[in-house]
Amino acid sequence: MIRVEDIHKHFGPLHVLRGITFDVPRAEALVIIGPSGSGKSTLLRCINLLVEPDQGKVFIDGVQVNRSDIRPEWARQQVGMVFQSFNLFTHLTVLDNVTLGPIRVKGMDREAAQEKGKQLLARVGLAPKAHAYPAELSGGQQQRVAIARALAMDPKAILFDEPTSALDPEYIREVLDVMAALARDGMTMVVVTHEMGFASNVAERILFIDAGVIVEEGRPEEIFQHPKHERTRAFVGKILR
Amino acid sequence: MAKSLEEQGRSRARIFDTIAGIVLTVGAIAFVTDLFIGRTGFNFGYVQSEIPGFLAATQLTFYVTTVSYFAGMGIGFLIGWARTARTASVRKMLRDRNAFLADDERGWETGLKTGGLVAWSGLKYVVRRIADGYVEVIRGTPLFVQIVFAWSVLIVNTPRLNQLELIAGIAALTANTGAYQGEIFRAGLQTVHSGQVEAARAVGLSRWGAMRRVVLPQALRLIIPPLTNEYIGLLKASSLLVVIGVQELTGYGKSEAFRSFKVFEVFAMVTGIYLLITVPLSKVIQAIETRLRIPGLGIQATESTSRV
Repeated sequence: MIRVEDIHKHFGPLHVLRGITFDVPRAEALVIIGPSGSGKSTLLRCINLLVEPDQGKVFIDGVQVNRSDIRPEWARQQVGMVFQSFNLFTHLTVLDNVTLGPIRVKGMDREAAQEKGKQLLARVGLAPKAHAYPAELSGGQQQRVAIARALAMDPKAILFDEPTSALDPEYIREVLDVMAALARDGMTMVVVTHEMGFASNVAERILFIDAGVIVEEGRPEEIFQHPKHERTRAFVGKILR
Repeated sequence: MAKSLEEQGRSRARIFDTIAGIVLTVGAIAFVTDLFIGRTGFNFGYVQSEIPGFLAATQLTFYVTTVSYFAGMGIGFLIGWARTARTASVRKMLRDRNAFLADDERGWETGLKTGGLVAWSGLKYVVRRIADGYVEVIRGTPLFVQIVFAWSVLIVNTPRLNQLELIAGIAALTANTGAYQGEIFRAGLQTVHSGQVEAARAVGLSRWGAMRRVVLPQALRLIIPPLTNEYIGLLKASSLLVVIGVQELTGYGKSEAFRSFKVFEVFAMVTGIYLLITVPLSKVIQAIETRLRIPGLGIQATESTSRV
């Protein structure tokens, strides 16, 4: 479903991504872990072209999307994204947050979009909050709205950029539950997270990234219990502590 | 509850203050009135008979101000947007890019891509510098001079132009308020969190779509008070058009004063009309401001007096 080939990215003199290649088959949940500054977020943003890779190829559903004859907006419609700090549109109600994309990008008519939006909000357990504003919600609720907003575009995959890192501990569970349900329903997901519970129970595969390269990849139990590389072992030791 | 001695003293002092204030104010008004019109008295009949003329002039003031204000808003938005653009110098960009291309093949495709990138950021760079320069020039020169300059350009190039003064005046005011509104828009746009744009783009909105649907609605909320302030400032500034002979409120007052020699009555009326417009408007702003203000997120209004 998603394939990146030999991705490189520079920020000025900084070589952030140094040739990363991986595949995410349909319906797989892939978790990416790695120390901060290792390029995880940049890698995610290269997939939906919020950051344009300097070199390398990004494929979504078999189509190379980082080409001059494909609009990056088209690529972004295929892949949803959920951010660490939610980034809900503060001036819009919860329902309008969810329907903005379908109405303005896909040209769906308002009634249909709202109908669908309400269903999605019900799916993340927030139907009663449809007319609230983001500032009136808890962090966990905001993040669930953000997931509904991503789903509203009928994406082929969803990217999660540390979706629980900005949450108070008591709200983490509800967001992870929604994500686990999505994975069960067969959504293709790429998740940057340090939630080891989620990674071991939901992820099919884990990539460990450090200094812009994939150091190790494997099934969760391999990575967590029998890491092959010294760097992986050190990092896993720190986060499992 | 009995008041302490100190408190009694303080409230007595307050009453004294108030009385003294009133006496001084009344005295000052009486003195000034006597100074200005003691010899002739205030001619109310004249004022009454001339009201239609003044109303027409007021209309022209509104017309000039409003047209310039909204034209300037368009300019201001574009200028403000351009000035939020991040630019890197082309030389630095090429250096960074070459640094990592060195150990790779430099095919024509990479070359084309690099060319496109350089062209795009070069364009951004140029637009940004033009916007910066425009704001510098306008804010660095007196509005008075800008008006005379606009007039001089027209009088030299198109001396037979119909309503030349009016057009020159509107052009100068538009250019002027454009720069000031540009600063207001820039502040407003920069206040909107960058994550909002990222989220909008991630949904699939274009650059313009993200601006229109997400950034502008949030920014406008913040800048309505300073924008309204700018309208008041511009309305007052339009009085400077008297210098090129536009018959707006001040210009009309000047001609009328020379015609009738009722100088004090005329300018008392001109002053009164400006006050009648600006005071209610500024009250409206205060109301809007208290209603819309988000704690810690307010934007300082530009000083509308600093331009003159």
